[in-house]
Amino acid sequence: MKTYFINVIAVAIGGALGAILRFSVDLPLYDTYFPINTIIVNLIGSLILGTLTAIYIIKDTREWIKAGLGVGFCGGFTTMSALANDAFVLIENGDILLFTLYLFISFIGGIGLAVLGYVSLMKWKAGDPS
Amino acid sequence: MSITLVAIGGAIGAVLRYLLGLFIMSNRKKEGLPTAMLIVNLVGSLGLGLFIGVYNPGSEPLQNPLYLLFSIGFFGAFTTFSTFSVEAMQLIQKRQLKLFWTYVLMSVLGSIILFGLSVAVTVQLA
Repeated sequence: MKTYFINVIAVAIGGALGAILRFSVDLPLYDTYFPINTIIVNLIGSLILGTLTAIYIIKDTREWIKAGLGVGFCGGFTTMSALANDAFVLIENGDILLFTLYLFISFIGGIGLAVLGYVSLMKWKAGDPS
Repeated sequence: MSITLVAIGGAIGAVLRYLLGLFIMSNRKKEGLPTAMLIVNLVGSLGLGLFIGVYNPGSEPLQNPLYLLFSIGFFGAFTTFSTFSVEAMQLIQKRQLKLFWTYVLMSVLGSIILFGLSVAVTVQLA
């Protein structure tokens, strides 16, 4: 019960910090028509979580740290609801090309960077078996 | 003030996602579609659509306290993209390509469609 409570606190703090950092990316970029702000947070967050996923495999990590960094910070930093909102606005404006480009960059980029973070760390570990 | 609202919404959204994820995962088999985050993302996109439809945040949304609390903070942190990316990656690693495409397409199209529908319906009703 106690560890469960610590995990929840870690998720809350991580989520708050992730959301604040996402907001600080939104602020200077909010006027840009193409939603580059959401792309930036989602791609960077996917790279970080892909890397963390490998770290957790390589190194036994405490549950509250995993919860705070992965579920809290990366989860709170990245967002699907803003992506849905951005994509809907583009299609509402009839910008099929930008809509397609937005989804393409977000999904190929997000999954690709998660793989890149994961594989690079695994490779680095394989070359450094200390 | 703005940062406090984003932080409060973000903390609550992330904790709710965590608890809902634990609850859904305790009620399903380990293999197959990562339903927990799929459900969270679909519900969160629907919720954001309802919020935007009911409460028009105006032309300067980042100056709007309720927009910061709910849209940026709560729904922004409740839904997640990084976990989606990693779960999609893990389906590729397991060579479950059919599940991969099902998961990706349901997440992408589902979130956008549910967001759009909920905005459209609430704007009609308002």
